[in-house]
Amino acid sequence: MVVRVELEYINARIKGMKSRLLDPTVFETLIHKPDIESIIIELGTTAYKEEIEKASIQYSGILCIEVALRKDFINSFRKIYRFMKGDESEKYLKILLGRWDIQNIKTILRGKNIHIPSAEILECLIPAGELDETTMIELVKQPDVKAVIDLLATWGISYAKPLTRNFKEYSEKRDLGLLEYALDRFYYKNALKAVKEGSYDDGLVREMIMTEIDVTNIKNVFRMIRDKIDVEEAKDYLIDEGISLNTEKLLSMVKTGTFAGAIKLLETTPYAFLSRVPEEILKAQKISVLEKDLEKYLITRGKNQFLGDPLSIAIPIGYIWAKQNEITNIRIIARSKTADVPEKEIREELIYV
Amino acid sequence: MVDFGIPIGAAIAFGLGALGTGIAQSKIGAAGAGAVAEKPESFGLMLILVAIPETLVILGFVVAAMIMLMLE
Repeated sequence: MVVRVELEYINARIKGMKSRLLDPTVFETLIHKPDIESIIIELGTTAYKEEIEKASIQYSGILCIEVALRKDFINSFRKIYRFMKGDESEKYLKILLGRWDIQNIKTILRGKNIHIPSAEILECLIPAGELDETTMIELVKQPDVKAVIDLLATWGISYAKPLTRNFKEYSEKRDLGLLEYALDRFYYKNALKAVKEGSYDDGLVREMIMTEIDVTNIKNVFRMIRDKIDVEEAKDYLIDEGISLNTEKLLSMVKTGTFAGAIKLLETTPYAFLSRVPEEILKAQKISVLEKDLEKYLITRGKNQFLGDPLSIAIPIGYIWAKQNEITNIRIIARSKTADVPEKEIREELIYV
Repeated sequence: MVDFGIPIGAAIAFGLGALGTGIAQSKIGAAGAGAVAEKPESFGLMLILVAIPETLVILGFVVAAMIMLMLE
């Protein structure tokens, strides 16, 4: 029996969960900690207490933090999914969490492509989407890329379609990018198809997906400029229906052949903030700096959804982005501590939104 | 002939107030249940918030009573 749950109830619970997100001052405390053990102790006094305690039985050091954060992340999303099940808003959550399915499948394919041990691939997965941990374990057990795709097809998982269609080309060129772009395109196309109605919630989710498409495309453009990809070939790596940038604009960015030239074309768009990136970074073609700025923009957009209608899907969207941001920041701090990165540099690496 | 105007007026005043209270309490109640599930310490506050729309039906009752008593 499907029980209808009101969005008032769901959003009140999510707001309660939001109140347990870490305060920026906690990040500052974590940065000041001398080593990874003291970070674990500090995290044990926050909302991560339960998962930290569980993880510390089996693991220690950075691995303990990684496992605890991953479990907490998955639990949070599974919890939202549980009380949204049966509600009309379930379709939005499926779209939003579908990103993790795509990311997980990509990780498995990448791992299988370069023959990484199954246990290592499994450590990198975040089963927060529809595909649960058991499914992931079975996928990881497969010997190669083809077997993974075949298993997805056998289970009738929709992501098998774009992979099967592009597998022949992949096996000829041995370029995994083909499968990855096919997956991205399939996800975004289906997501936009599911939110084409004119309701407020549809509009919100559509706007977020289209912004994500823009960000993905801009990142791809920079990579293509760096790798000197031909404009004709570039078309195959771009996704349609971005919110501010169409394919022609993106291709003209590729045509400029330089980072500075491409950024100049973004002046009249919401991505004009990229022009603040110092010239020496552009000349050195440090994509990571640009990607971080774009990521920050996307997280800000996502988190700002909290200011939207409290009885809409805006609240879950805001929470998902805020939680992702928090976990990313804690991971940055923990990893930096193990590598003895100076505090000033850690602060620069964090995405404070 | 019996004049139904006064009791019907009183019924509308009370009925619409009750309907408004019902709608408001259903929304606040659902949100309150969600908030208490996450933060049990907010139970007292939620109880007060759920009770606030009762004022609507009380006002409706007062208006209905005034119609019945004063216009008779």
